[in-house]
Amino acid sequence: MILKIDNYLKRSTASSKLVVFRICFGLMMLYSMLRFWSKGWIETVYLEPKFHFKYYGFEWVQSLGSHTYLLFIICILCAFLITIGLWYRLSILLFFLCFTYIELIEKTTYLNHYYFISILSFLLVFLPANKCFSMDVFFRKKQYKEIPQWTVDAIKLLMVIVYFYAGLAKINSDWLFKALPLKIWMPSKYDIPLIGETLLQQEWVHYAMSWGGMLYDLSIPFLLIYRKTRLFGFAMVVFFHVFTAVLFPIGMFPYIMIVSALIFFEGETHDKIVTLLKKIIQPFRSLLGISSIENVNHFNYKRPKWILWTLAIFFAIQMVAPFRYVLYPSELFWAEEGYRFSWRVMLVEKIGYTNFKVVNKTSGSSFYVRNGHFLTDLQIKQKSFQPDMILEYAHYLGDHFKSQGHKNIGIYAESYVSLNGRSNQQFIDPEIDLLMQKESFKHKQWIKPFKDEIKGF
Amino acid sequence: MIKKIFLLGIIITSLFIGCSDDSDPSNNNDNNGNSGSNTTTPVSLRSQVLVNWADNFIIPNYQSLSNKLFNLQTSVSNFCSNPDQLGLEEVRENWLQAYKSWQYVEMFNIGPAQQFYYHYKMNTYPANTNGIEAFIESGDFSNLNNPSPPNNASQGFPAMDYMLFGIAQNDSFIINLYDDLDLNYNQYLLDITDRMVSNTDNVLTEWDSYRDSFLASTENNATSSINKMTNDFIYYYEKGFRANKIGIPIGVFSNGNNFPSKFEAYHKQDVSGILGLEAFDAIKAFFNGNDNPSLKHLIDAAAIGDLTNLSSEINEQFDDAYTEFQGLNVNFVEQLQMSPGQLNSIYDEIQAGTVLLKTEMLSVLQIATDYVDADGD
Repeated sequence: MILKIDNYLKRSTASSKLVVFRICFGLMMLYSMLRFWSKGWIETVYLEPKFHFKYYGFEWVQSLGSHTYLLFIICILCAFLITIGLWYRLSILLFFLCFTYIELIEKTTYLNHYYFISILSFLLVFLPANKCFSMDVFFRKKQYKEIPQWTVDAIKLLMVIVYFYAGLAKINSDWLFKALPLKIWMPSKYDIPLIGETLLQQEWVHYAMSWGGMLYDLSIPFLLIYRKTRLFGFAMVVFFHVFTAVLFPIGMFPYIMIVSALIFFEGETHDKIVTLLKKIIQPFRSLLGISSIENVNHFNYKRPKWILWTLAIFFAIQMVAPFRYVLYPSELFWAEEGYRFSWRVMLVEKIGYTNFKVVNKTSGSSFYVRNGHFLTDLQIKQKSFQPDMILEYAHYLGDHFKSQGHKNIGIYAESYVSLNGRSNQQFIDPEIDLLMQKESFKHKQWIKPFKDEIKGF
Repeated sequence: MIKKIFLLGIIITSLFIGCSDDSDPSNNNDNNGNSGSNTTTPVSLRSQVLVNWADNFIIPNYQSLSNKLFNLQTSVSNFCSNPDQLGLEEVRENWLQAYKSWQYVEMFNIGPAQQFYYHYKMNTYPANTNGIEAFIESGDFSNLNNPSPPNNASQGFPAMDYMLFGIAQNDSFIINLYDDLDLNYNQYLLDITDRMVSNTDNVLTEWDSYRDSFLASTENNATSSINKMTNDFIYYYEKGFRANKIGIPIGVFSNGNNFPSKFEAYHKQDVSGILGLEAFDAIKAFFNGNDNPSLKHLIDAAAIGDLTNLSSEINEQFDDAYTEFQGLNVNFVEQLQMSPGQLNSIYDEIQAGTVLLKTEMLSVLQIATDYVDADGD
């Protein structure tokens, strides 16, 4: 066994695989960050709110105000440096730190694909993605033909986890046997040319898409891994992600997944891509006068053990964390305890309406909070159906009104949530003073139990 | 290999586009048992809804308001040229008729109205009485053009409410103020009346050209008229109706401190309930569409599962609140003094409607919200 692992770790593969991945990742990030900026979202998401929702344990992450632009500039700069492969280690590390910091500022914008970018860039910090066709090679006058096989497999493994867990999450009674939420979403896409008024209105199409989506997510990793099915698998990847890009406002995610899937191809494919890219930028290359670069066959880490252990722990967490929901007695889609960071994508249609009542416990008098005074519309929408945000906001309100001189107050939520087309149901126990509750990993008793059952993962 | 991959990408994309041609456009929409005929597609239903909204609600309601305002203008100019009790009574009556008519357009803060800040200039209350007095003293009213909260609250229906009922203790003192042209009350009343007329006519004229683009915009995105109007309706129900007309004055948002002066038509007083009930009539009529397609029909066409009866549920909730509303003293200031509990209970009934609109209705209609612009996942 140990011998097997040892042998595996010694295997090597074309360094161009990670190089192509690096370039694609860099370009995608460059475009994503510029796109985010150009849409004015830095302003609306990070500068306008008076109050930011924080991840548990990361309350210390503060908004940098207008310096948030600096974080974006660093990310953009790093993305460019990653693309051309200059100071790769430093730029990917900086990118990971800045990008993750940005994400940690505000919880209401949580998206699985931002999380994916965060952990992927973390992984890339440890991988030799600059060993050929990079500015680092140009300056160090040394390029490597091959890198350890496991460095490429690490990225594949991450992608396998993303797809497979997303597929597992779709094995639930709402998704498969009620075609929910697709049955709610698809008819509203009536304005998509050709299929909007026709196919997307058909119930059988909703079922076909539900089952197809589940089977796709579960099988795509294997279709990509096996050489014989790879081209077909990649065709599926392109089809699926282009289709979702047409249907949903999911930004860059489909394109990031499509180019990421290239990692599964053989080294010769990547070599050809590199050759092609070299041709395209030939004028610059001759300007730089590329010459006298020493060719070395194998790249080996100086201290691989340390990195291998780090990655082993990283992947162990990735594989176990999505199952943490089993530790909670509540319905996962309802209470969302253990919901995030688990590749549960597009699974629920959830909409809530939550008002907060400030009660003077001495006099019994009370008033309602005008959420618009404190939150942006995006925050109001998100906080209305996520218990941790409801709690955090209640505490913020408590601090605010106490600082205004209100004494002995309690804060109560009147909250109604509709999940996957069910009638709305009271979400938070209205008798509970949220100021007496503390955030923790423990089950939140004050979430009203879901009056229905959703079976499955 | 690379070429193959690229080629494949192109083939798939074109297949995806090509494939969708095969579907038979005649067999859609018959799987969710809606009340419309089988030929109603989502787009054609939305077209019908928009036509109904524009031609049976928005434009005629503005027209009707414009007519009422014309009557008001006539009586104001009669009164101002010869201020007497009879003239004052006539102005007051026409003001009330126009104000009632206004309740049927207040939810349509869309298109030209939005562009001209029309709604803010017509009905921002409570009236800015200090501002009004300052304008009158200066004799220069041109600043009323600039939309700002103090300027908006110095014109429109609330300002007239003050001008007709609040500027002096009794009618003869009021008439005296209009008699004395040096005091500018006379000119100010004429000026704000003219503004209401011309602002309304501007919006109405603009609708001639705006109508076509309004009707054409049936798609489901943040700026389509079908979505904007739906969002505006919900916003109006929650803010303009629920909060402004009842919630804020009775102190729902202010720790039990109530503000009777924030009721609509505070200076006249005994019509707040009448105006509120008109507004409620307008809300119910718009939701149900007066026998032509409207929100109710959009909901019925899309509702599935638990929510199949959603439109009836919403109507029942409206009716419950409406019935209770009818039992109120039309003078909300008195109502608040005598029995504030009734107003609180009305507020709760209306609020229950908000919950239905903002959770179940939004879930069924899948309206792209006009305010949240972000990627999903």
